[in-house]
Amino acid sequence: MSTEKKIYLTKKGLEKIKKEYQDLKNLKLAKSKGDFSEVLHSEDVNPEYLSFQEDLNFLEARLFEIKDILKNVELIKLPSKEKRNIVNLGAQVTLEESDGGINEFLIVGSLEANPNEGKISSESPVGKALLEHRIGDEVIITSPIKVIYRIKKIKYQSL
Amino acid sequence: MKNFLNFLLEANKLKTIPRTGWVLMKVKNPETIAGHTFRMVVTAWLLAQKKNLNIKRVIKIALSHDLCEVYAGDMTPFAYYLHLPKNKTKREKILMKWIRLSKKEKNKMGKRKYEIERKSLLKLIKFLKPKLKKEIFSSWLDYERGISKEGKFVKQVDRIETLIQALEYFGTKKEVGGTSWWEGTEEIVDDSLLLKFLNTIQKKFYGRRIKSSKEQKELENVLNFLLEINKLKRMSRKIWQLLGVKNPETVAGHIFTLILMAWIFGQEQPKLNLKKLLKMALCHELCAVCTGDLTPYDRILSKNKKENKKIFKKWLRLSKKEKEKIFLLDYKKEKAALQKLASKLNPPLRKEIIQLWLEYRNHNTLESRFLNQLNALSVLLQALIYQKKDKNFSADFLWEWAFEKCEDPIILEFIEELKKKFY
Repeated sequence: MSTEKKIYLTKKGLEKIKKEYQDLKNLKLAKSKGDFSEVLHSEDVNPEYLSFQEDLNFLEARLFEIKDILKNVELIKLPSKEKRNIVNLGAQVTLEESDGGINEFLIVGSLEANPNEGKISSESPVGKALLEHRIGDEVIITSPIKVIYRIKKIKYQSL
Repeated sequence: MKNFLNFLLEANKLKTIPRTGWVLMKVKNPETIAGHTFRMVVTAWLLAQKKNLNIKRVIKIALSHDLCEVYAGDMTPFAYYLHLPKNKTKREKILMKWIRLSKKEKNKMGKRKYEIERKSLLKLIKFLKPKLKKEIFSSWLDYERGISKEGKFVKQVDRIETLIQALEYFGTKKEVGGTSWWEGTEEIVDDSLLLKFLNTIQKKFYGRRIKSSKEQKELENVLNFLLEINKLKRMSRKIWQLLGVKNPETVAGHIFTLILMAWIFGQEQPKLNLKKLLKMALCHELCAVCTGDLTPYDRILSKNKKENKKIFKKWLRLSKKEKEKIFLLDYKKEKAALQKLASKLNPPLRKEIIQLWLEYRNHNTLESRFLNQLNALSVLLQALIYQKKDKNFSADFLWEWAFEKCEDPIILEFIEELKKKFY
């Protein structure tokens, strides 16, 4: 079933997913031609595709999923100059606590989120709490235990 | 087989490594990495079946997500602070909150952590057969990078399982547990079902009012089930207690080993339904939540310790009639316990859990016969590990049991490997 929901990706993210789609299609083709093991053992194969190499059903499912992503994708664009003081997708947000502690997040779509590397989804509770706020705003980040931050800086750059 | 054995012996260490976050927060006898993995696999399964996800893959990803910690250790995000302050007050202040770092620092430390864990996992699986090696590595990578829907889902479940454990350890007082677990969870969870599950957690622990619905009720019942099975993370295996083993494995630890064995041995058996085998391994001892960990010796042991030592020198010597009687008594008790434990889960899930357990106990399917053999093998393996550590401990009696139960050529081959390794 196809998702109607918009899927937000950075330019780099979109390039990556397009490449994955092409690579997986090549893998599928190689498998149908019977020269799959050569592709499998090639050092060029991205380790992220390992799971799809052995399991054709999973490969098909992933291709279907990517097709759906590409159908519903919306590129995260730089906002106009007057809107760059508002948190939106693609913003790098610097937060300050009352004790001077600094925290930072890059707001991305669900597919590219990786909090370990500071990238959080706009649909996570923290991401949602930050969206639409401006520099100087006070934001309550978590529930049920409140953590209060002040937005110190909002930065946009090509992603 | 030698490679399987070395892999299992190394992975077994996860049953003794406590999770770093709890150690830093001074929790007494905290859960181990294996204990966490056990409940996380169950959580992932129970919640994933409400979505259109590949359950076998979900289980594999959840099972492999912390395997790298055998060598890398449990690197919590607090490891991002290269040097936690020695001053107790300053240190505690940091631990009470989730990490506060710049995007650049997070990115740098995240990549460092990834690299350390990647190398650690590759070291662990180095000698496995290429197919299995790829399967474990790709499952872990999927968890790390969130490549597939399943990988993204499991990553979020991991944080939720940790959040539930934190609430179980510290309760809801900010002064005791800090805000760390909620912050970390709310940074990562964006799946619609899991966001609802977070509301369920808030309702349960904080009394938050949420609109009642069938789905919400189901999630509440899943949460209650997960809270119940957490007892298995603390429940020591009775057989080892009776034999005087210090800090023995827990029931959760045993299930962790068995499900790992089910994966690596099961994929060598094309006739077996691997998904069913994995689920059956997860369910086979859940009844212990209510019955405690039962052993075949429970009804014949006396209060005299010396007498008992004699009994443990050999595997049980009983007539067929006596064996049948003990089996039936335990069977009824365990069945009633599992029915009670699963009673509130939605009917298809409840039926599935009970059906898997019934098959396991009745040895009436290919998967259940294989799993029963694996179970004997896992107990023997654990006994041999204890025997190696303690010369006064003897695993001899369990050889008899294993030879009574095992018949599968692959398992018998593995038993030969055990002989070579330990004797």
